[in-house]
Amino acid sequence: MAHKEVIFGLYNDEQDLLKAVKKAKAGHMEIMDVFSPFPIHGLDPLLELEESRIHIAGFIYGMLGTLTAFLSMTWIFTKDWPIIFGGKPYWSVPAFIPITFELTVLFACVGMVVTFYIICGLGPGVTNPTLDDRISDDKFCLAFDKAYVNEADARALFSATGAAEVNSKNL
Amino acid sequence: MNQYTITNTLRTILFSMMGIGLLCLVLTWMGDDHSHTRFWSNVLHNSVFFTGIAIMATFFMAASITAYAGWYTAFKRVFESISAYLLPGFIIMTLIGVAVYMHMNHLYHWADDKSVATDEILKGKSSFLNKNWYLFGTIVIGAAYVFIAMKLRSLSVAEESAHGEENFATHRRIRTFAAMFLPIFGFTSVVLIWQWVMSVDAHWYSTMFAWYSLASLFVAMMCLVALILLYLRSKGYYQNLTKHHMHDVGKFIFGISVFWTYLWFSQFMLIWYANIGEETIYFKERYDNYPVLFFGNFVINFVLPFLVLMRNDTKWKNGSLSFVAIVVFLGHWLDFFLMVKPGVLHTAHEVGGHGAEHGATEAHGHAAEHVSSFVQGFTFPGLLELGTMLGFLGLFLFVMFNALSKTRLTSEKDPYVEESLHHHV
Repeated sequence: MAHKEVIFGLYNDEQDLLKAVKKAKAGHMEIMDVFSPFPIHGLDPLLELEESRIHIAGFIYGMLGTLTAFLSMTWIFTKDWPIIFGGKPYWSVPAFIPITFELTVLFACVGMVVTFYIICGLGPGVTNPTLDDRISDDKFCLAFDKAYVNEADARALFSATGAAEVNSKNL
Repeated sequence: MNQYTITNTLRTILFSMMGIGLLCLVLTWMGDDHSHTRFWSNVLHNSVFFTGIAIMATFFMAASITAYAGWYTAFKRVFESISAYLLPGFIIMTLIGVAVYMHMNHLYHWADDKSVATDEILKGKSSFLNKNWYLFGTIVIGAAYVFIAMKLRSLSVAEESAHGEENFATHRRIRTFAAMFLPIFGFTSVVLIWQWVMSVDAHWYSTMFAWYSLASLFVAMMCLVALILLYLRSKGYYQNLTKHHMHDVGKFIFGISVFWTYLWFSQFMLIWYANIGEETIYFKERYDNYPVLFFGNFVINFVLPFLVLMRNDTKWKNGSLSFVAIVVFLGHWLDFFLMVKPGVLHTAHEVGGHGAEHGATEAHGHAAEHVSSFVQGFTFPGLLELGTMLGFLGLFLFVMFNALSKTRLTSEKDPYVEESLHHHV
């Protein structure tokens, strides 16, 4: 991982953070990242983030689940081990529907979670450095990379927008 | 533009729709069998459908008010105006009830005294399925609904002109009435559906039926709301609504369509799985003689809204949302067609025409032989059915737009209106 020197401000309120992000955007300062314990309304369009494509992946996983369930039950109950249940035909589509539904949901959920973990580089044994532990609790963090943003500019912005703390960290 | 006025063009269109409907009803009456089965079943089908939509709009308002929902407040008047159709709707239902009471038609098998006397199942159900319950149940329940809907409406209008009011007193009264409506609706809506629709197949019952048809009505109501909003916005009204409001209306169409499908399928699967003759007859009839409607119903009421409205941008775009809303609205009208018509046709064969001269067993034989052939106006909706639907829709929309033009489109004093105007998904 490339070495990064990061300067970041911690805010107590998400509205202050939003103002700081707006100001940074107006001053053409390149924001490295924003951290928050919960999703902040209106932050995504401010940061010009693209809409996530994970739901497209979710749809494909869901379809995969539908096909898996339906085709496997079709094969099992007509070719592999045909059994008559309650006088119904071997290929009893209505009886397959609940399981098809369940597997669709299961594949879509598990697939999306795994995809999300892979995209974020998370997994067993992976440690991700955090700027500050409190950003998962009660602090809202705006971070700049010193390689792209002048440290004095960043400090000026933080003090102008009321950051509770300003810290630096090397990642 | 916060004040709606009906244009003369719209008034002409709505009145010609009513004219077409009336003409179709007269034509149906003239070309009908001697007990006018097609006429009465068309009236029942459309009357139940549009009254049900008004009931669901009232329910939606009551549930949203009770749940402190604010997003829809900017266009709450649309729901209030739809609920204004409750009064004409229940009047038409009462007229049908009177006709059933006077034995003027053969819509319901249980209303035929001769059949009830010889039929053990009908006899067993006769403490509920009888003409008194039908007529007076409709009147009493209808009166309660109309009273509460009118209260919700008039208080909401009064709220707008209230000055210097402390503590949202009017809104608190609205909330009381809304909360009162919910249990009343919960217990009585199923009774209405049982006696209006499910008892068409008097020998059959399903505990899921009321849920199923109410879900159908809810989707149809939301489709109408979407279409009305898109129409009003295209005419320059409701410019304070954003794509996020339409998004939520679209989500309701999508979500309740899925819920409808869940009930459609569950009702079918449990009966299919249990394989009890008395229960399967309902689906056997539709499966054998109405396959296009039966499966077409599933495609246009589930597959289409599910696939089209799944993405969020299709809920924002006027074209895709109105396309889905129109098709799904017609789809649920067909759904009610399929609930009403096969049973009425069966009853007509059992008690109408042949039943008078022949014994019950012989009439049964006739029924079996008639049912399998194509019957005009029953096996598939014909032009007269569509015309009748247009007529009822014209009346419905006229009542609705008329109520809408009575007061301002967005209530400025509602405590939730600011929240609604800033609604953001």
